[in-house]
Amino acid sequence: MAEKAEFIRPRRHISQKVSKTGGPSPEHAIVKALNAAEDIISGYQGWAVDDMEKLWLTFLGFVDTDQGKITEEHVLTMYNLSHEARGQGGSFGFPLITLIADSLCKFLDGRGGLTTMDLEIVRIHILALKAVFRQNLKGDCGALSREIPNLLLALRNKAGIGENHHQ
Amino acid sequence: MSGYDFQNLRVLIADDSRQIRALLKSFLSGFGIKNISEVSDADEAFIEMSNFDPDLVIIDWNMPPTNGLDFVEKVRLGENSPNPYVPIIMLTGFTELFRVKRARDAGISAFLAKPLSAQSLYKRLIAVVDDNRPFVRIKNYFGPDRRAARRTQFMGVERRGQ
Repeated sequence: MAEKAEFIRPRRHISQKVSKTGGPSPEHAIVKALNAAEDIISGYQGWAVDDMEKLWLTFLGFVDTDQGKITEEHVLTMYNLSHEARGQGGSFGFPLITLIADSLCKFLDGRGGLTTMDLEIVRIHILALKAVFRQNLKGDCGALSREIPNLLLALRNKAGIGENHHQ
Repeated sequence: MSGYDFQNLRVLIADDSRQIRALLKSFLSGFGIKNISEVSDADEAFIEMSNFDPDLVIIDWNMPPTNGLDFVEKVRLGENSPNPYVPIIMLTGFTELFRVKRARDAGISAFLAKPLSAQSLYKRLIAVVDDNRPFVRIKNYFGPDRRAARRTQFMGVERRGQ
């Protein structure tokens, strides 16, 4: 028997506060938004380099740790830092950061520990992230934006963690 | 002047990244929204729901130690929820299908994948304003009608099949 569902139309709806006319055109609204965000976007590289250093130091802490003692919690710490970089890179004009951090997230997601080979793969990802800032690789980087994810996928596949490892 | 006028909206932003909050706030201000409140975690967001009474919440999924999904469930199903019907946009770097489904099943109104752009945020705002789905209450779910979302998504395919 189908589950009984109750359908409700809320009395208050967001559309009651928004007029569909009288505001700027979508194009104009987006230009205004980009102008409003100009300062924060241009400041990204400065603080993101510090975040990347934090990621690197966390990694070095792993290398100094006896591998058997790298716990799921340690991996989660690094995953969270990579996850932040993945979300922020493209948002602030560095899509390559998002692509590389996405690969690192896929590699770390759900892992209980890290082997010597795993640590090497993590190291390569972080060095690639640092290189993007060092070379100031902003915006669409053309062929590089296609080649890097493929290379990193090949690297993950070497360790047996490619696409869809969660699905 | 030919577009949506968002100036009367009250928007609550919850993200643990100060920079992402600043970016969101700048975009929303650019769209003409003046009343914006920002918090850095899900528990604070729930408290701010009562103080600020937002028309829309934009919340990040991954905010250790709590997360955006817990917030959505608390708002939709919690006995002391200030507004169980408030539209919620889930902002996240998680884009895997099983995670999108999990967020939908918690009762979100829309999903906004990072990286963020002014265009993607504008589109989601319009989608939420134009979203006229009823809310549905069943045994383990309260939120926007998920079947209506699926019908809309597959409308083109159904028409071709007729």
